[in-house]
Amino acid sequence: MLIDHTHRRWFFVSVAGLAVATAVYIPYSLHSPQGPRGGSPLGLTYGIAGFLFMLFVGLLGARKKVPVWRVGRAQSWMRGHLWLGLLSFPLILFHGGFHFGGPLTRMLMWLFIFVWVSGILGAALQHFMPRFQTAQLPMETIYEQIDRVRGQLAEEAGQLVEETCSTLEGEVSRASDRQRAMSASAGTQGGLTVASGLQANRQVSTQLRQFLDDEMLPYLERPGAHAMSLSNEAQAQAMFQRFRVLLPSELHSNLDDLENICEEKRQLDKQNQLHKILHGWLLVHIPLSYALLLLGAVHAVVALKF
Amino acid sequence: MSSKAAEIQLTIDGVPVSVPAGTTIFDAARLHGIPIPTLCHQQNENPVGVCRVCVVDVGQRVYAASCIRQVEPGMAVKTSTDQVRAARHTLVELLMSDHPTPCARQQQSGDCELEHLASVAGIKEPRFPHRTNPRGKDDSSAVIAVDHEACILCDRCVRGCDDIRHNWVLARRGKGYQAGIAFDNNLPMSESSCVSCGECMVSCPTGALTNKRVVGTQLGQGDVLDPAELLNLPIFQNVSGTFLELNQKAVVKRHFKAGETVCREGEFGSTAFYILEGKAEVFLSTPIAHVKTEGSSKGFFSKLQSLLAPREGDRRSEESDRPFIPIDASVDLPYDNPIAELNPGDMFGEMTCMSYYPRSATVRAKTDCVMLEMLRNVLDILQRNKTFRAQLERNYRARALDSHLRSVPVFKSLTQDFIDHLRDRVELLRFNPGQLICRQGDPADSFYLVRIGFVKVSELRPGGELVLAYLARGGYFGEIALLSGIPRSATCTALDHVEVVRISGEDFQLMLDRFPEVRQKLEAIARERIDENLRHTVQAQNVPVDQFLAQGLMEAQSLLVLDLEKCTRCDQCVRACADAHQGVSRLVREGLRFDKYLVATSCRQCRDPLCMVGCPVGSIRRRNTLEVIIEDWCIGCGLCATNCPYGNINLHPFPAELDDPAHPGHKIAGVRVKATSCDLCHDHAEPSCVYACPHDAAHRVNPPEFFAGLLAHPTPAKGRS
Repeated sequence: MLIDHTHRRWFFVSVAGLAVATAVYIPYSLHSPQGPRGGSPLGLTYGIAGFLFMLFVGLLGARKKVPVWRVGRAQSWMRGHLWLGLLSFPLILFHGGFHFGGPLTRMLMWLFIFVWVSGILGAALQHFMPRFQTAQLPMETIYEQIDRVRGQLAEEAGQLVEETCSTLEGEVSRASDRQRAMSASAGTQGGLTVASGLQANRQVSTQLRQFLDDEMLPYLERPGAHAMSLSNEAQAQAMFQRFRVLLPSELHSNLDDLENICEEKRQLDKQNQLHKILHGWLLVHIPLSYALLLLGAVHAVVALKF
Repeated sequence: MSSKAAEIQLTIDGVPVSVPAGTTIFDAARLHGIPIPTLCHQQNENPVGVCRVCVVDVGQRVYAASCIRQVEPGMAVKTSTDQVRAARHTLVELLMSDHPTPCARQQQSGDCELEHLASVAGIKEPRFPHRTNPRGKDDSSAVIAVDHEACILCDRCVRGCDDIRHNWVLARRGKGYQAGIAFDNNLPMSESSCVSCGECMVSCPTGALTNKRVVGTQLGQGDVLDPAELLNLPIFQNVSGTFLELNQKAVVKRHFKAGETVCREGEFGSTAFYILEGKAEVFLSTPIAHVKTEGSSKGFFSKLQSLLAPREGDRRSEESDRPFIPIDASVDLPYDNPIAELNPGDMFGEMTCMSYYPRSATVRAKTDCVMLEMLRNVLDILQRNKTFRAQLERNYRARALDSHLRSVPVFKSLTQDFIDHLRDRVELLRFNPGQLICRQGDPADSFYLVRIGFVKVSELRPGGELVLAYLARGGYFGEIALLSGIPRSATCTALDHVEVVRISGEDFQLMLDRFPEVRQKLEAIARERIDENLRHTVQAQNVPVDQFLAQGLMEAQSLLVLDLEKCTRCDQCVRACADAHQGVSRLVREGLRFDKYLVATSCRQCRDPLCMVGCPVGSIRRRNTLEVIIEDWCIGCGLCATNCPYGNINLHPFPAELDDPAHPGHKIAGVRVKATSCDLCHDHAEPSCVYACPHDAAHRVNPPEFFAGLLAHPTPAKGRS
C-alpha cells in the first residue's frame, strides 16, 4: 500500500489520538503514588483501548477471507489496520507504564514489539516495493504462472536455435526459401567461398546447439540458477556478442530474441525473489500476531480475574 | 447443288482425304485418324484459333491454325514436318514459360493439357524467362479456384460460359501482360453474377479453373446420391451435372427416425440440411435466462450468488423485449416457447455451413424424416441457383418475413396488411465476406434488415476506418439517410456470408407515413446513433497517443486498471471476483501495461466488440451505453469467448436437465454453460474487485477520462475510482 497524501486523515486522527493519550498519561504518571500501573482505572482503559485496536487490526485477515462482504471497503480496513496498529503500541506502553512486568507480560511485550516492528517493516516494503517491482520488471507475470512461463521460454529458445541452425546449415527440408537465400548470402560474405562459408556455418551451428544444451536450457529450466553465467546480464551479453560476430547479420534478430528470453528469465527470477520479500514478512507477522492476540486475551482474563 | 458436289478433295500428310466443304483441317484430320495437338479448341465450342498449337503447313507463306482454317480443293496439308513440330515446340515452350508447373490441375488429376503436351514434346525447362509480374489468384469462390497464373488465354472458359451456358459472366480483360479472364466487370468470382455452373472449370485445359473440394470435411453418414438422382430433385434443377459429378460425396441423403436428434445447439459443424420429407422440430434446450449475480439485500454477510434469471423476473436496464429468437433456419423461435416446426422444403444450418458458426438450435425429427445434408460447396452452388433462390425467397416471404419484422422491436406495431403489402416487394440480397453493401456518401435508396450473417458498419475518417457497430440477424441499417434525406453516413460491409432483406426507399417512406410511431422510434434511435458516433469520433480525435491507441484502450469504455505502484500483487481482486461469481473469476490480473497501470483482463465494453461477431443466435449485444449484455437465449457455444481478443468472456456452468441421448424422451442431469462477462457487480455500488482491493490499486475507469491527464502531461493525473 502506497502511504501517500490520501492517508492524511488517518494520520491526523492517529496523531490526535496519540496526543490525547500522551496528554492524559503525563499527569497520570506524575501524580500516581505508585507510578502508572496496568491495574489502575486509567491503565486499564489504556489496556482495553489498545487491545481493542489490536483486535480490530487482527480482524483484517478475516475481512480478507470474505472479500465480497460489504462490511466496509478493504482499503479502509487496511488503513485502519495500519494506523490503529501503530497507535496501539504507545497505548499498551501507557497501559504498562513502560514496564514489561512479569514473565507473561514480558513475553507479551516482546511479542508485541516483534509484531509491531514486522508490521512497520511490511508497510515499508509494501510502500516501496511495488514501485521498485514495476520499474524493474516490465515483463512481470502472475507469480503462480512463473514455472509455466519458464517452460514456454525454454521451448521458444529451442525453436529459435533450431531455426537459426537450419538456416545456417542450409537444410532444404527445414529452412524456408528466405532462410536458404540468407544462408547463401552468409556463405559468400567476407570473401569466403561458398564451400568454406558453409563449413564455417556448420561449426557455428554446432556451437549454438551446444550453447543451447549446456547453457540456455539448464538456465531456463531451473528456477533461480544464480550461479550460471546467463544469470549475469553482463556475462550473458558477452556470450551473445560472441555469436553475433559469428552469425550473419540476417540472423541477429534471432539472437536478439534469444537474449530477450534470457532477460525475461532473469526478470522472472527477480520477480520470484521480490515476491518472496514482499510477502515473506507476513510469515513472521501473521503467526506472531495470532500468538499476541491469544496471549493478550489470556493476560486480560488472568489480570481481570486475579 | 448435290452433296457430292460439296465434297472437297485434299491430302493430309500424303493421305488423300475427302470431306464436306466448310470442314476445318483439324476436323478433316480427326475424321481420318490423324491427330493434331491443340489447346484452345474443343469439339463442343466454336473454334477461335488463339493458341496456334494446331498449326499445320498448307504450303503457304505462313502456317495455318488447323482448327479454324477450312479445307480447300487440292490442299496438301502437312501436320508433322520437322518445321511444324519445331514451331509447335516453340509455342508450347512459350506457354510453359508462363505457366506454374505443376499447376493445380496437374496436381489434382495429372491431366493438365499443356503440361501433357510439354511432356510429349520433351520440354522440361523452357528456354524463355518466366513472367516477372504475377497475375494473381482469385480464391473468393467456395467452389471454383481461379489461378490466373495458369491461364493460357485460350478462351475455352469464356466460350463455355457465354456460348454454351449463356450466362455471359466471363470475358477477357486487359491487354498484353495484363490480359486475363474476368468475371463481370473484373469482380472477384464470388461477387460476380457467376452461378457456379462449373462449365468454365470443365472447359479449362489447365489448372486456371479447378474444382475446390471441402478439405478436411467428410460426410460420414448417409447415402451418396449420383448426379442423375440429384438432378431429379427440384432444388437441383438447373445445377450443372458436371459440378455434381465432381462433388458427388459433398451431399448425402439421410434418414432420421421420429425423435432422433439431427443436430444440437452449440455444436460446431460444417453442413446444412434440407428437408425432403417429414417434419422436424427446432428448439433451444439451454435455459432461456441470463446470468444474474445477486446478494447484499439480506444484510452485510449475504454471499453473492450467480443465478439464472429470465427477463420477466429480472429486467435489466434496456432489457430486450424481442418476441423472437433468431436462429440459423427459415423460422425464428418465440421467446416464450422457443420451439418451431420445419417442413419439407425448409433449410437450416446455412450459417454453420457457410461460415462455420456453431449450431444455433437443436433440431429433432418430429416424424420420420428424409433430409439432404450438404457441404458448403454444394450449398454455395444452390444459393446461386436461380430456381433454388426463388424457392428460398418464396419460403421466406411466406413464413419468416412476419416473425423477422416483428422480432425487431421498432417494427412490432406493423399491421398484418402492411406486412402482406411488403411480402412481394422485399428483396433478398446475398453478399460474400468483405463485400460492400452500401458505401458512405452514396445516395440512400433502401433500408436493410439483416437476415443471415454479420454486417460491419464503419465510417471513413481522415485517420482511417472507425467501426461503429456490428449488426447481427435482426439488426438494420440505412434508416438515418432515408429519414434525413442525406447520403449514406456510413459504409456497411458483409463480415461473412450475409443475406439482407432490402426494403425499397418508397416502401420505407410508406411505412413511415402509415405508422407514425415507427417513425418516432426510428428517429429516436437514429438520433442516438448519430450522437454516439459523434461522441466516438470526438474521443478518437482527442487522444493522439500512439501507445494508447495501439493497446486498443481507446476502444474500451470501461477498464479495470491496477495501479502497479500501489498493487502488492495480493490477488484479492481476483479472489473477490471469483467469490462474487461462484468460483468463476471474470478477471485475470494480467494484461498490457499503460504507464504505471496494468490493464487487467476483464471486460472492456469495447466500442468495436468483436465478441458479438458470429453469435449464432445473436444473444450478445450492446445497450445504448455500449455496455455488453448477454441475452437470455445464449446457448453457451463459447464463440464470443473465443472471439474476444482480450479473453474477457467466460463460460459459467449451471446444472440443467438434458436430453438423454441413449434414451430419447428421457432427461438426465447435466451441465449447461452460459457466457458471462464482467457485470460490474450490478447489485452493488462498486465492483467486488475494486471494493476488495486493500491497497486502493484497483479502479474501474473510463479510459479517455481517466487517462486524460496522463495523455496530456508526462505525470499521471489522479483518476476516479
